[in-house]
Amino acid sequence: MILPLLKGLILTLKRFFNPYAVVTMRYPEERPKLASRFRGLPELQIGKDGRERCIACGLCARVCPSQCIYVEGATDEATQRRYPKIYELDAFRCIFCGFCEEACPVRAVMLRDTFELSTDHSKAIFDKAQLMDYSRKRNITI
Amino acid sequence: MKTINIIIDDKPITVPEGTNIFQAALDNGIYIPGLCYHPRLSQFGGCRLCMVEVTERRTGHRFACAHPVSEGMMVKVNTPKVVRYRRSVMEYLLAHHELSCPTCDKSGECGLQDITHELSLAPSRFHAVRMNAPIVRDNPVLELNRNRCVLCGRCVSACKEIEGVGAIDFQKRGIQTYIGTAFDKPLECSFCGSCLSVCPTGSWQDRTFAFRGRAWELKKTQTICPYCAVGCTIILNTKSAPARLEEGMETVRRVTSDDRLGINEGNLCIKGRFGYGFIHAEERIKTPLLRKNGELCPVTWDEALGHVSERFQQIISEHGGRAIAGIGSEKGTNEDNYLFQKFCRSVLGTNTIDNLANMRSPSLNSLIYQSVTYGFTATSLREIEVANTLFFFGADVTEAHPVIGNMARKAVRMNGANLIVANVRRVTFRSAAKNDIRLQYSFGSQVEFIHALIKTILDEKLVDLKRVEQSADNLNELLSGLDNFSGENASQLTGIPPEAMRKAAAVLTKPGHCCIICGKDIEEDPLAEDIIKALMNLCALINAAYNTDTGYGKVSLLFSRSHNNTQGVNDMGVVPGFLPGYIDINDVSHKEKIERVWGTSLSSDIFQKESASIFDCALQGKLRGIYIMGANPVIHYPNGKEVLDALRKIDFLVVQDTFLTETARLANIVLPVVTFAEKEGTFTNMGMTVQRLNRAIQPVGDAKPDWQIICELARRMGSAYSYTSPKDILNEIESIVPIYSGINYDRLKRKEFYWVSSVLGRNKPIKYTFTRIRSKSLDVKRNTGFPLALLTGVSLNHQGAFSQHSKVLRSVAPACHVEINKKDAKEMNIQSGDTVVVESPQKKITLQAKVTDKVPDGVVFVSEDYEWIPVNLLRNGEYTFVKISRETG
Ligand code: SF4
Ligand code: SF4
Ligand code: SF4
Ligand code: SF4
Ligand code: SF4
Ligand code: FES
Repeated sequence: MILPLLKGLILTLKRFFNPYAVVTMRYPEERPKLASRFRGLPELQIGKDGRERCIACGLCARVCPSQCIYVEGATDEATQRRYPKIYELDAFRCIFCGFCEEACPVRAVMLRDTFELSTDHSKAIFDKAQLMDYSRKRNITI
Repeated sequence: MKTINIIIDDKPITVPEGTNIFQAALDNGIYIPGLCYHPRLSQFGGCRLCMVEVTERRTGHRFACAHPVSEGMMVKVNTPKVVRYRRSVMEYLLAHHELSCPTCDKSGECGLQDITHELSLAPSRFHAVRMNAPIVRDNPVLELNRNRCVLCGRCVSACKEIEGVGAIDFQKRGIQTYIGTAFDKPLECSFCGSCLSVCPTGSWQDRTFAFRGRAWELKKTQTICPYCAVGCTIILNTKSAPARLEEGMETVRRVTSDDRLGINEGNLCIKGRFGYGFIHAEERIKTPLLRKNGELCPVTWDEALGHVSERFQQIISEHGGRAIAGIGSEKGTNEDNYLFQKFCRSVLGTNTIDNLANMRSPSLNSLIYQSVTYGFTATSLREIEVANTLFFFGADVTEAHPVIGNMARKAVRMNGANLIVANVRRVTFRSAAKNDIRLQYSFGSQVEFIHALIKTILDEKLVDLKRVEQSADNLNELLSGLDNFSGENASQLTGIPPEAMRKAAAVLTKPGHCCIICGKDIEEDPLAEDIIKALMNLCALINAAYNTDTGYGKVSLLFSRSHNNTQGVNDMGVVPGFLPGYIDINDVSHKEKIERVWGTSLSSDIFQKESASIFDCALQGKLRGIYIMGANPVIHYPNGKEVLDALRKIDFLVVQDTFLTETARLANIVLPVVTFAEKEGTFTNMGMTVQRLNRAIQPVGDAKPDWQIICELARRMGSAYSYTSPKDILNEIESIVPIYSGINYDRLKRKEFYWVSSVLGRNKPIKYTFTRIRSKSLDVKRNTGFPLALLTGVSLNHQGAFSQHSKVLRSVAPACHVEINKKDAKEMNIQSGDTVVVESPQKKITLQAKVTDKVPDGVVFVSEDYEWIPVNLLRNGEYTFVKISRETG
C-alpha cells in the first residue's frame, strides 16, 4: 500500500519542479492567449461613418436565449436612418452564446475577447456607449 | 341566397353563390397565398400568386381570386405545378425588391416576407436590379417607399373605394409603373391610413411609429377610439421597456385596426389611427394640483381629496347640496358618468347636473328617445351599410364621422344606394352614387326645407295616404299645417329649385331601406326641436309608405353625436331632466327603486328639474361650487363668456381632467385622470351600441380613473361605495337602467350590446302621431354692423384637448381657418391665407382666412374643434353674427 503512495508523491514532485508544466499564470501581469474563436462580451461595432453599425432590427434581442438585450429603434433626424436609440446588454445575464452575432444581418454585434467584466450589480447593464467604447478602443471599423 | 358546395383540398365547404375561390378558402381557414386580393376591395388580379388547380368543373389552372365557385368544384391549392408556378412568380417579384427587412417596419407582418418564407425561396436565379427610388416623405403621417411595392393596387383601390379620395394611383406604364399622386405632387388627402392598412408590403409606412418597435415585440390590445361618436375599434400596439429606463413602462407605439373587429371593419380616420400622441404627451397632468396663493401646486392625492371632500361638506352644511352643480363628461365611460350622477344626486344631494351636449341641444335627448319608441332610430350603425337610400341632413359626414362616410360608400358600392346630401354649406362627400343629389338650403330654412320635402311627397302622391293613415295618427294635422305652403314659396325660402326637390322626394320614397343621418348643424340649431319634429313627420311618412310588417323599407334615423360617449353620458342620466335611462326626473314613482338600489334616501329636491342652466344658476348666485368631470365648457359651450363669468363667480371649482384645459386653469383643484388607454369601461356610440374598452397600459403618473376618484370622494364624505371595478358598476347599471338591461360586461368582450334592439325587443314601437310645427319667426336678422352669420362645426383633424396634444395632428392641421365665400371675400378684399379678425359683439379673434365656395355668401364657417381657438367666446347661444376685417398692423 506504500507503493502507490510513493508513486503519487513522485508525480507531484515531478510537476512541482518542472518549469514547463505550469497551468496557472500570473494574471494580470501575464495575459492569457485566447483562441481566435473565443466568445467574450458582445461589442457594438463601429461603421465607416464613425457611428454604430447597428440598424436596430431587434433580431439579436429576439434570438437571445437569456433575453439580456434591449433595443429601442428610432429615426435619425438628419439621415432618416434607422438607428438604435437605446441598446442595452445585461452583462450578468449574457451567457456568451454568440447567437446575437449570428443573427445580426449587418455584423453590428460581435463577441470578441473582452472577458474582464467584473463589476457590481448597479453597473451590470452596459449601454450603447459602453458597448461601442470597446470597439472604439480597438480602432477598427467595418 | 343560393349556396354552392365545393371541395378545396379535400375539405367540403359551402359558400354563397358568387364568392370567388380565394374568399371561400379564406372563410374556411384554408390558406392560398396572394398579395393583391383583399376582401374589402374590388378584385384586381395583379399579383398572380393565387393560382390553384381546379380538378372538377372548369378544370385547369385558375386564379383563385378571379374565379367564382361553381357547384361541385374541386380545388387543389398545392399541386407541384402550382407550387412551381408560384415560386417563379415570387422570384420575379423579389428580383427587384429592396429586401431591407431588417430596417423595414413591416417585417414580421409582411405578406411578401411570409410567402417567401413559406415557399423557402433560395436566392434568385435572376440578376437582381434594385430600383433605388427615393423615399417619399412629403407629409407628417405617411411615407412611401416604392422600392418595396409589388404593384398589387390595394392602396389605390382602398383610397378610391373606401375613402372616396383617390389621391393615389398607378403612374406611368409598363416597367416604369409606380404608385404615386398625380404629377408627383405632395400627398394631400384625408390621411385615413387605409392605404397603409391594406398594403401587403412595407411600401406605406406609418411615420408616427418610426422604427419604435418590431411587429413581434408589440402587444396588441383591442379598444375603442376616444374621438368621435362612431366608436371604431382600434388596436393599441404597446411595447414595454425595462423598468430602469426612462421609458420604463408600457407605451403606445402605434394604432392599427383589424378588418374582423368592430363596426368599422378596419377603417379608421386620421384621429383614430394617428392621433394617439396625447396618451404620452408631456402636458398631461400627473399629480393633483391645488390652488395655493393663486398658483396651482402639486399635492398628494390624500391632501387633494381631503380638501375636496371638506369643501363640499362645508358648502352642503352652509348652503345645502343644491349649491353644488356637476358637469359630466362626453369622453368618460358610462361607468364614470353613472357614478358621477349617483355621487351628485345621492352624496352631494343636487340635481343640478348636466353635460355639454345636453346644454348645447337641450331638446335632443327626449326627441331621440321618442324616435326610439316610434321605432325610427337605427339599431346600429351597420344599417348604413345596408341602406338603399342615404340622406345626410345637416351632417358633414366627411369631417364629423369619417368612418360613417366609409360605410355609406360601401352601401353605394354594394347596394347601389342613392344619396341625398342636404346642408347649408356645400359639404364634401365623394361617392359614386348613381343618384347623387346635393341640396343647399339657405341659412335658417331647415324647417321649411323638410316641409317642402313633405309637401312634394304629398303633392306628387309618392306615398299612399291610406296606408299612412293606418300606421300613424293625426295625418290631417300635418296636411292642414301645410295647406298654404306652396312649392314656389318653398323654393324661395330654401333656395332650392322645385325640380331638385322633386327628385329628392322621389329618391326618398323609393322602395328599400332609407337611412337618415341628422347632423350637428340641425341638433344645435336654435330651432332644433321644430326641425327634428318635422324630420320625424317625414320619417313617419316614408315609413308608412311601405309594408313595415316585413321590416323591409324601413327608415332608420341616426342622430349625430360629437364625442365617443356623448350618447352614453346622456344615457347615464347626467342631465337635469332624466334619471339614468331617460326616466323622467319629475316622476316620483321611481324614487323608491332608486333609493333601494343606491341604499340611501334622496331628498325630494332631487326629483325636480332646475329650469335654468348651470351657468345661469351660477350667475344668479345660486351656486357655490361646481364639480366638472372631463369637460371644458369655457371652450365648448357656445357662450364662452357666460361660462367664464359663471366660473369666476363661484367659490369652489373642482376639475377632473387629463390636461390643464382652459377650464382647469380656473379651478381651485385639479384632479388628474387617466386616458382611455389606461382604463376599462364602456362607451356608447351614436348608433346606441355599447362597446367595451380594454386597458392597454399602466396609468401615466399619478393619474387615476374617474370612477376611483369618485369612490374615494364618496368614502371620505361618509357613503362608501363597494365597487372594485367598472364591471361592478355596469352590473348596477344593468339592474337599474331599463335601456341597458341585459347588458353583461363579460359578454361585451365578444359582442357589442345594442340597446335600441333590446328596447324594441321588449316593447313594440308605438304608433306615430303627426305633429304640426308652427315655425317660429326666424331670427336671422343681420345687423348692419355684423353682416355675416357665424356657423361653427366639426373638423376631421381635430377634436378637443386630445388632438391638441397630439403632435402629428397638429402638424397635419396646424391652423384653424375661417371659411369665407368667394363673393364676400372679394367685397372685403380678402385672399386665402390672409390673417383676419373675426369680431362679434362679444369678442374678437384672429384667424387665417380660407376663401371657398363651400359656405354660401353671408355665412362664415369656423371649426370649433381647434381647442386653442376659442371660437365659442364669439357666440352668445343664438345665431351669432360677426364682421370680418383684415388685420391691421
Ligand atoms: S441584430 Fe445587429 S443590427 Fe439588429 S439590433 Fe442586434 S446588433 Fe443591431
Ligand atoms: S416589404 Fe416585406 S419583404 Fe420587403 S423589405 Fe419590408 S418586410 Fe422585407
Ligand atoms: S391616407 Fe387615405 S386618403 Fe390618403 S392616400 Fe391613403 S387611402 Fe388615400
Ligand atoms: S404601395 Fe403597397 S398596396 Fe400599394 S400597390 Fe404597392 S404594394 Fe400594393
Ligand atoms: S371615425 Fe371617429 S371613432 Fe372612428 S377612428 Fe375616426 S375619430 Fe375614431
Ligand atoms: S391574389 Fe389573386 S392575383 Fe393577386
